[in-house]
Amino acid sequence: MSILMQLVVSGMAVGMIYGVIAFGYQLTFATSKTLNFGQGEALMLGALVGLTAINFLIGQSLGTFWAYLLMLPIVLAFGALQGTVVEWLGVRQAIKTKSEAGWIMATIALGIIFKNVAENVWGRDALKFPSPLPEASLSFWGIRIQPMEIAIVIGAVGMMLAVEFFNRRTILGKAVVATANDRDAAGLMGIDTAKVITFSYALSSMTAAFAGVLVAPVTLTGATMGAVLGLKAFAVAIIGGLSSGLGVVVGGLILGVTETLTGYYISTGYKDVPGLVLLLLVLSLRPSGLFGKATIKKV
Amino acid sequence: MLHIENLVASYGNVRVLHDITLTVPKGKLVALIGSNGAGKTTTLRAISGMLAPESGSITLGGHEIAGLPSYEITRFGLAHSPEGRRVFATLPVRDNLLLGAYPRLTGARARGDVDADVERMFELFPRLRERSDQLAGTLSGGEQQMLAMARALMLNPEVLLLDEPSMGLAPRLVGEVFSIIARLKEANITMLLVEQFAAAALEVADFGYVLENGNITLSGDAAMLRNDPAVRDAYLGGSH
Ligand SMILES: Nc1ncnc2c1ncn2[C@@H]1O[C@H](COP(=O)(O)OP(=O)(O)OP(=O)(O)O)[C@@H](O)[C@H]1O
Ligand SMILES: [Mg+2]
Repeated sequence: MSILMQLVVSGMAVGMIYGVIAFGYQLTFATSKTLNFGQGEALMLGALVGLTAINFLIGQSLGTFWAYLLMLPIVLAFGALQGTVVEWLGVRQAIKTKSEAGWIMATIALGIIFKNVAENVWGRDALKFPSPLPEASLSFWGIRIQPMEIAIVIGAVGMMLAVEFFNRRTILGKAVVATANDRDAAGLMGIDTAKVITFSYALSSMTAAFAGVLVAPVTLTGATMGAVLGLKAFAVAIIGGLSSGLGVVVGGLILGVTETLTGYYISTGYKDVPGLVLLLLVLSLRPSGLFGKATIKKV
Repeated sequence: MLHIENLVASYGNVRVLHDITLTVPKGKLVALIGSNGAGKTTTLRAISGMLAPESGSITLGGHEIAGLPSYEITRFGLAHSPEGRRVFATLPVRDNLLLGAYPRLTGARARGDVDADVERMFELFPRLRERSDQLAGTLSGGEQQMLAMARALMLNPEVLLLDEPSMGLAPRLVGEVFSIIARLKEANITMLLVEQFAAAALEVADFGYVLENGNITLSGDAAMLRNDPAVRDAYLGGSH
């Protein structure tokens, strides 16, 4: 029993990471009906930029914890900029010409380019990311948890709540929701919907970059870290539905926990399988996701 | 106030508006009538930038607005209550109203007192006050129509475009909508009204235009059009 609980708890942190990345997919899908298939690379770039920033700050004789906190705004700003670039180069034209598939190819291509750039700047090796919190596990009723895993859950939930608060409480957030509801009608309200779409790409990459520096201290950092995470989060976005914030959290947790269970009871070699099986199951049984209404067209 | 000259517009290769010339003077109510598919909605869409016109000129208070994106046209004071209501379904009534004032809240238009205007809308449409926290998507059709009109008014517009505000409403509500339009007219709001109830529209309007297959075929004083035998036969028969 306690082994099972341990596995569930361990699966939660990585599940929340899937959830945050999937949340990022939702942000752009809501406003533009397009996705950034390079979302995993946005996470990877965020983590690597964060690594450079935190190492620089530690070099200024800051403690790891403060260096980590100071690094966060740099990474968030970088993520927003990176998302803006993706929208300008890869998506804007496709939306204008109402191209059905242009943005798919363009965002995949940009993802590959980002990965190559990262390999050249940071090398091909996996790098250790300094942990801002003690790495020794805490023990609650016999279940061991790393402090950073708790931080991941808090950070991920906090990020999503912050976006939710922005959408509900501020007029700019309401403009985003209006654009997601009905783009033409939002235009009639005086909302520059093209800007809103750019903004949602910026926000989406920002959440991915943030997820990158959340997960980096408990994994390793490197140019290849994004691909698998991005793909699994895509599965989560489909499982949870592309329109439900709660859906991606639950979907992420389901996937994260199933993976640790598979890794323990079957074999770590099959760890990546359950996500894809879940994806296939949901796609065939409930194409709109477990929680969602919107279906994604032709993807 | 709003002046349209030689407007031509198409959907793809299909030309829908051939040569529209039309004027809405300041403070007046102009009715645009015509049978289904004549191009009334398309005319309003071209004015508000939902559809880029092929050629022609549209000026609002002296500014050329033809071909500008909707959000810029709105900033010149054009409000459009579109066909099919198009309220923001997942937002509450109050937020829909605030979004109507978006250019005012973001500095693109004179701000004025937005809260007082929300209050004014609740007085004009008491049903909306009762439902101010309800999601717009769960309102009845009639309530959504009221919301679409109120949301457009929240701009404090120079010109208000109304596309079939009575569509799908019960007869009693249709009367209510027309009495609200009459009140807006008393408040000197400049309006271009598209209506299926041509008789009622010409009753409240100052001027009228008749649109047929993308061409203006008749125009003039609303009272004159009401008594025109051709108009009576084609548009007013039985719709009262
Ligand atoms: N999005 C569109 N794509 C192609 N054709 C369209 C589109 N919208 C309208 N049309 C065509 O343009 C013509 C004019 O349509 P419009 O909606 O302006 O008519 P209307 O006068 O508003 O009619 P109704 O009284 O039924 O609302 C019609 O023949 C219609 O089929
Ligand atoms: Mg119409």
